[in-house]
Amino acid sequence: MNKKKILVGSPTNNQVVIHNNSDLVLIAGPCAIETREHSMRMADLIGKVCRKVGMQWIFKACYDKDCRSAPTSFHGLGLEEGLRVLSEVRSEHGIPVTSDFSDPSWGAATGEVCDLIQVPAYLCRQTSILRAAAETGKPVHLKKGQFMSPWNMKNSCRKLESFGSSEIMLTDRGTFFGYNMLVNDMRALPIMAETGYPVCFDATHSIQMPTSMGNISGGQREFIPHLTRSAAACGIDALFVEVHDDPPNALSDANTVLDLKYLEVVLSQTKAMHDMRRELQEKWGEDNVHPEG
Amino acid sequence: MFIQKDSDLDVASVMLDLNSTPRISSRAFLKEALDLMDAKKLGIICITDRFGKLEGIITDGDIRRMLTRVQKPFAALFSDDVIEYSVKNPITVKRSTALSDAIATMGLMQVWDLPVIDQSGKLEGLLHLHPAIEAILGVRNA
Repeated sequence: MNKKKILVGSPTNNQVVIHNNSDLVLIAGPCAIETREHSMRMADLIGKVCRKVGMQWIFKACYDKDCRSAPTSFHGLGLEEGLRVLSEVRSEHGIPVTSDFSDPSWGAATGEVCDLIQVPAYLCRQTSILRAAAETGKPVHLKKGQFMSPWNMKNSCRKLESFGSSEIMLTDRGTFFGYNMLVNDMRALPIMAETGYPVCFDATHSIQMPTSMGNISGGQREFIPHLTRSAAACGIDALFVEVHDDPPNALSDANTVLDLKYLEVVLSQTKAMHDMRRELQEKWGEDNVHPEG
Repeated sequence: MFIQKDSDLDVASVMLDLNSTPRISSRAFLKEALDLMDAKKLGIICITDRFGKLEGIITDGDIRRMLTRVQKPFAALFSDDVIEYSVKNPITVKRSTALSDAIATMGLMQVWDLPVIDQSGKLEGLLHLHPAIEAILGVRNA
């Protein structure tokens, strides 16, 4: 099972340990970097909730959203300006930061600023992206494509390993269930954990209904609490949530981001489930009901 | 079947060399192991570590038994690490083992192949029943 750990950030910058025998870690932030001020405010507000709940966290916001449904959708601040904002969030708030990247040529610059390199789900088997992610030398957050089976993610891990990665985290963000609909097969979490790497649950993309609203994606965020509790009970090492202080006016993923006012309740419940699962494992041992052990 | 007990043939004289022996690393996919067994036309594959030390084997019989036991879809099964379905600590022989003794072991254990290892456990080749019998019967040059 997943025994490998990943270290995100530097020891002097609230380094976060993600491991199956550690406290649950949060990766959170707005979907896209909208403005410098908004990112700084969100980092401040999410940080306050995390301190209250008692969770270590990593700030996430993307500088270039390259998979939006429409050409007119907000794309982001771009590589240079976006990374400058992330760098400021990192230094001013003293927390690790992460972003995804959609073009191999952006990899090196992303690695200079970000502590965790996210590979988008749509690109999870793209060799050139995986190579660029590995070559940053940073831990890689690999999202399972909506079209991928959990066991086939091992191929992407092998690619990353062949390019030098030894710290990888795998995330479930839902699987296509027909058109415009995703479902979560919770078996994906223990199956991906068989790689030995930590696993994460993406609460806000899991409830997405891809491009269900013509030129944008919809979502059923009312299910975020149910799914996060389920994932934590199943077994995760990190939780990914996109959060916004004004969801209706969010420039990206307005239909799926979690309203900041609900973050505390979602985190508190998820953390409680995570801690309970660890207690149960300590009492009853690892999950194994196979007749042959 | 009568085996010439006084035959001076040893395992080294008829064993398949390393190039002819299906072998694979423990982290290879099960599907890769099946492909290699097929390519080498043998019902066994030896799993070795990066130093060439034998870690386990899988035979046609192991796969047959596994297919009726494991309930996961083929696509998932094919992606599993080959070591997961292997027999650890298999019966082995040395190059110097008398061929008649090795064949007797095969009969006793009802196996067609025996990995050949050196003193340190490193894989050196494979003893396959057919060439061994042919050599004993004198219909094949050892």
